[in-house]
Amino acid sequence: MNKQIRRLGLALIVIYVILFAQLNWLQVAKAKTYNADPANTRGVIRDFNRARGAIFTADNETVAESLPSTDRFAYKRNYPLGDLFGHPVGYFSLKYGTTEVESAYNDVLTGKTAQQELKGIGSMFSGKVNTGDVYLSLRADLQREARDALGDKEGSVVLLDPRSGAIRAMWSNPSYDPNQIADHDFTKAEEARALYLLNPEKPLLANAYQERYMPGSTFKVLTTTAGFENGALKLDSSFDVSKEWLPPNTQIPIKNYGGELCGGEMQRVFEISCNIPFAQTSLALGADKMVAAVNNFGFNEKAPLDLPDVAASYFGQVKDFDQDAPKLAQSGFGQNAVQGTPLEMALVASAVANKGKIMAPYVVEETRDSGGGVLAKAKPKDWKTAMSPQTAATLNTFMIGVVNNGTARCCMRLDNGIQAAAKTGTAQLRGPTEPGGQSSHAWIIGFAPAENPVVAIAVFVKASPEVTAGVGGTIAGPIARQLLNKALTVLQ
Amino acid sequence: MIGISRRGTELTLVLLAAVITGGAYTLVALGKNSTLPANIGPFLGVIMALLLTPHLANRVLARGADAVLLPLAAMLNGIGYVVIARLKPSLASKQSGWTILGVAAYVITLLIVKNANDLMKYKWTFATAGVGMLLLPFLPVIGRTINSSRIWIHVGPFSFQPGEMAKVLLACFFAGYLVEQRELLAQATWKVGPLYLPEPRHFGPVLVAWFMAIGIMTLQKDLGSSLLFFTLFIVMVWIATERTSYLVVGWIMFAIGAYIAWTQFAHVRLRVNIWLDPWASSQKDGYQIIQGLYAMAGGGTTGTGLGLGDPTRIPLAQNDFIFAAIGEELGLVGTTAILIAYLLIIGSGLRIAFRTDKPFEKLLAAGLTAIMGVQAFIIIAGVTRVLPLTGVALPFVSYGGSSLLANYILLALLMRISDSTAKRMGEVKQAAKKQAVPEVDLTQMIPLVEQ
Repeated sequence: MNKQIRRLGLALIVIYVILFAQLNWLQVAKAKTYNADPANTRGVIRDFNRARGAIFTADNETVAESLPSTDRFAYKRNYPLGDLFGHPVGYFSLKYGTTEVESAYNDVLTGKTAQQELKGIGSMFSGKVNTGDVYLSLRADLQREARDALGDKEGSVVLLDPRSGAIRAMWSNPSYDPNQIADHDFTKAEEARALYLLNPEKPLLANAYQERYMPGSTFKVLTTTAGFENGALKLDSSFDVSKEWLPPNTQIPIKNYGGELCGGEMQRVFEISCNIPFAQTSLALGADKMVAAVNNFGFNEKAPLDLPDVAASYFGQVKDFDQDAPKLAQSGFGQNAVQGTPLEMALVASAVANKGKIMAPYVVEETRDSGGGVLAKAKPKDWKTAMSPQTAATLNTFMIGVVNNGTARCCMRLDNGIQAAAKTGTAQLRGPTEPGGQSSHAWIIGFAPAENPVVAIAVFVKASPEVTAGVGGTIAGPIARQLLNKALTVLQ
Repeated sequence: MIGISRRGTELTLVLLAAVITGGAYTLVALGKNSTLPANIGPFLGVIMALLLTPHLANRVLARGADAVLLPLAAMLNGIGYVVIARLKPSLASKQSGWTILGVAAYVITLLIVKNANDLMKYKWTFATAGVGMLLLPFLPVIGRTINSSRIWIHVGPFSFQPGEMAKVLLACFFAGYLVEQRELLAQATWKVGPLYLPEPRHFGPVLVAWFMAIGIMTLQKDLGSSLLFFTLFIVMVWIATERTSYLVVGWIMFAIGAYIAWTQFAHVRLRVNIWLDPWASSQKDGYQIIQGLYAMAGGGTTGTGLGLGDPTRIPLAQNDFIFAAIGEELGLVGTTAILIAYLLIIGSGLRIAFRTDKPFEKLLAAGLTAIMGVQAFIIIAGVTRVLPLTGVALPFVSYGGSSLLANYILLALLMRISDSTAKRMGEVKQAAKKQAVPEVDLTQMIPLVEQ
């Protein structure tokens, strides 16, 4: 019988080993999947019953904090600045989960990073959770200035440091109040969200980096770069003064803005933003070189922002232009299918400002544990090399020309005589003769001070009758100027 | 003296179990309320009393017995109590009451059963009592159906699962019956293909056990107990006869029975469907198992910490799903510790079976160990989705008096066999017998069992 007893022992060991293997599968291998299951609310409910770190701006204002609550949960998430940081910071909602910084930095805020858990072992018996705080690169004063400057126009403003990629302000109007979405009362949260969803201006969407728009003439910065980098354009290039020009394979001519006569020296056609020279440059370069050049700016991909759900800017691939020369020509001045996020267009300006290099953009400067010890600090990273320093210097000069003698002459003179550099854009969605009448977005991208840039900016104002009546420079320029003036005061 | 050193080891380990239980209890209070438990002093006193009583009983009544069984049971019981108290504070005092009863039953069993071999004489009494226990829930007035299983009886404020007791009684019966019949059953003269099988008529008892298992599965709708009883019987026949054919034929029969049950009975099909895809009815039938999976996944490697998880979200977490609650708060580390504890109990139990030279004791020890090992496996496998979920108690850990009582008696029988063997092998001074242990007339036992 001993042989059988031994075998029984062996069999029992085997079935227990199966249990052990299954436990490893459930508790280690599959744990992430189960924890992330949308039907699994236990993580959320646990998170609502414990402390969560705060989120601060670079100028030390509190964006998000957890306050003791008297309802069914121990804590309530509070956003003292309301809609000001709705987009970049997101919400921590029982009903709708977490978004943006609240989601991307959830582990830090709840104390779940390996670093915090190790440090937390010491305080195990005090029952204190080692939550972490998040410090943004965004500033509340600049964010407010952006909100004031844009006013009730629908659009976005992105202001960043071209040297590091640190975003200082990122505002889109309309925004939303995360306090409403984070309400513990499901009915109130649902009603608030439903109202926001009904709004055609999509207040819940962070238009600055989650939506893309036709960039119009601001795109000429990219075409000019492509021309200079490939030798197709030179400082002494010149273009015929003409009203319209017919690209191959089409009967539809390319016209300048307003059908005006336009042409001249290279710098001049950039300053006054003729269309025909850039259409011709694009065609002369060909699809291969144009696509390669715009890809060097990060078009056709998502900017590596430290937030989820960034939209990819779009130019198109070589095969899209193979049989379509008119499309390539129109894309050369930012029309047709070209689309950029306001964030991407700010990065285009930052490429010129930072001697051709685009830094990876970020909104979180630093994370700290509950004791104030630094957990992680943003390390500026190169993302793209858009152009050589020589080309950057050339474009810098051109963009100064736009401010001093060109389409931004109206409204980009900064306080204290600081020189700005810029490029305007009026992206035509519909021509005057099309059904519905004329419609266009207004853009400006730029940086300051031109000789030693510390901020780059993109201002986008969405098409509306009021916006369409002006040109990009007159609508977006004053907004950019107001914010640049403020930024240069507080940042220096 | 080995006997004395065994008791010394046991004392050390029992104290360790007390430290683990007391520590866990403190951590729960810290985790839940960030304060030390108010009643930690009296609590530790009660634990020490509960743990030292059986230990002292061992010193007097079973000096040569195995040193690790009691501490392992105490640790499982302690962790179970802490988790139950954390899940449902209202059940904590009841569970400690049941533990006191269990410990008392342990001591009484050691007192009454002075020689395990004597139990052989009462095998038909055990058979009657065991089957009677299984049938009790069908009696009107006291029988109850809970969670669709008719395995409960209610007397006054107390509810009881007589099946838990029946498994110990039937193990005693099987051991006695098989010791007598083993040679007859082992004769293999019937050639089927390359195999020599026992005479077809000798499969009669297997058939009876099979019908019993099917009966439990269909009438009481208790799949777990059905599997447990049948496994117990087949394993004991196999060990007694040393014929693998019984094992093979037995399992084929069980597979056929299970298949028929699956085709014929909706409640069996439901269990299988939940097992295959709990997400198909995640808000209804699959809810409990999914919550269990979420809980264990939430625990991860090291767990949320005692008192810091959310295991009350699992329905009936204190009974069948206590393992998932442990998985959440103690993580893979905790669940592995529980598995190891059962493996050590299995190891000790089988070593006891291995060492004794009496066939009855061998069979009984192996059977009792198999019950413990297989029962823990069935419920853990169900909770972790290795097998379809069939509700049985996790021995020593789950909430419930019948289970604790039966398992402490089971433990005492193993200890008794271990002690007798040690004495026969001369590991314990026989003089110890002269100590104050009263001689108990074994015939007095009969009415006790028939009650």
